[in-house]
Amino acid sequence: MKRFLVPAALAVAYVAVPLAFGGNPYVMGLIVAALTIGGIAVAWALLGNLGGMVSFGHAAFFGVGSYTSAVLSMKLGVPPLAGLLLGGLGAAIASIATMPALRLKGPYFALAILAYAHIFQILATEMTGVTGGAGGLLSIPRFPTLLGVDLGSKTGGYIIILTIVVLSAAAYAAIRRSAWGLALKAMHDTEIATRVIGVPSTHLKAAMLALSAFITGVVGAFNAHFINFLEPDYAFSGAWTVLPIAAAIFGGYRTVWGPVIGALTIYLLDQLVFKELMPHGHQFVLGMLLVGMILLSPGGLAPILGRRLEGGQRHAHA
Amino acid sequence: MLTLDGVQVSFGGVSALKGVSMTVSAGETVGLVGPNGAGKTTLFNVISGIVRPTAGDITFRGHSVLKAPEWKRARLGIGRSFQIARPLHHCTVRENLIVAQRFGAGRVDHERIDEILDLLKLGHKADRDAVSELALTEHKALEVGKALATNPHLLLLDEVLAGLETNGKRAFMEQLALVRDRFNLAMVVIEHDIPTISALCPRVVVLNFGEIIAEGNPGAVFRDPNVVRSYTGEAAA
Repeated sequence: MKRFLVPAALAVAYVAVPLAFGGNPYVMGLIVAALTIGGIAVAWALLGNLGGMVSFGHAAFFGVGSYTSAVLSMKLGVPPLAGLLLGGLGAAIASIATMPALRLKGPYFALAILAYAHIFQILATEMTGVTGGAGGLLSIPRFPTLLGVDLGSKTGGYIIILTIVVLSAAAYAAIRRSAWGLALKAMHDTEIATRVIGVPSTHLKAAMLALSAFITGVVGAFNAHFINFLEPDYAFSGAWTVLPIAAAIFGGYRTVWGPVIGALTIYLLDQLVFKELMPHGHQFVLGMLLVGMILLSPGGLAPILGRRLEGGQRHAHA
Repeated sequence: MLTLDGVQVSFGGVSALKGVSMTVSAGETVGLVGPNGAGKTTLFNVISGIVRPTAGDITFRGHSVLKAPEWKRARLGIGRSFQIARPLHHCTVRENLIVAQRFGAGRVDHERIDEILDLLKLGHKADRDAVSELALTEHKALEVGKALATNPHLLLLDEVLAGLETNGKRAFMEQLALVRDRFNLAMVVIEHDIPTISALCPRVVVLNFGEIIAEGNPGAVFRDPNVVRSYTGEAAA
């Protein structure tokens, strides 16, 4: 049954969701926002699980990716779809500047990355000639129409961000299964034991940081062309760090799909249910939900769903 | 194959190795003995790149490896085990060897992995968790197995027989001899048990207070008054 789960989920995601909600731009916009958070959450969890690093500064990579693609498309006419990859590349290059922080362990790495996020925000504000300064960039080119599908629409944007998230999660899963993934996981507890068998642990950690930054940068670039507007306080907002972390923890940060499930669950619940019931302070309910999940299942929602699925399978075979 | 030339190591003001010079030839098995604190493990750490010497040079197969980090030395062919086994966490026994082979030897050769597992009698535990599902002897064997999977030319074994009872020690020693002959390895073995080291190693080097105080065939070395004094706690003459 597990074999059919992923193809079935993909069929629902690519066909059923656009059919069901394509006519409702508000809900589609919310799903796109949830997947945007989910994409960053996957990148954040990848860095934590494989690189062994907790980051408080993924907003830096999101912002750099946003600005790279937006500026390239506005100043040099780079097509937005190519800008997605260049945004990721920009964020990966920016991550090189943060690599000295790899020498730090635990919370010190997290705090150093947080500081980098602020530095990049200041740069975006000060480099007025390139970024438009505090006033930001308006009228960022939207995604084109391709094969009759308007990628600049809510549904088109959904297809793009869904593809980004699916490819990111697939890459994450492939690395986890490989010898690289085994070495990376083992490094957390026994780094010296991995180094004496030929594992260049620092290089591997740097590669995971760059990959995590790349994914986050692609998501940032997508967001810039989807909303067609950027300003430093928004692009480097702490929300791009906090919401993905909350989503990953809620969904199951040790699993590949948990961060995506978490992002969809908490964001859509918050916007469609809690906000309706409690227009002011609805985030409080979200916080309580997160605490409840940590208490009931520290591993998050995905492991619970996995157990239910296995239980159902056993029941069906009985 | 391996040449140490005047290797010194200091930790703060304490000299752990004081100008150690020694050679290990291809295919040779050398015993490294000495009382606790003599500098044996520090010497292994220096050869494998975990500790940088404060002076001296290390050449391996004709090239200085002084500036090479641990992982590069592993890829050049220096394999080692640790006194306290350090299996890779979150991995099965087989996965431990896969990681070692992928990174240490450059590619995964499942036939060689199966051969190593068989030689070390780990075949039946290949798919078990390497941290929680192995007995002491099996942990020791896995230490050797990980090093072997990197296709080494030189194997540094740090008290790999420690903690085993006499029969277990003899059996494990026979496995090591088989492994050495099968893969044509040079080995340096740290071991406290004199009969064991005498049986396995045609040449023995004795360290005391970071200096080599005797070297030669085991029979002669273990009768050397300096060596006897080093073990009884008296200062070397």
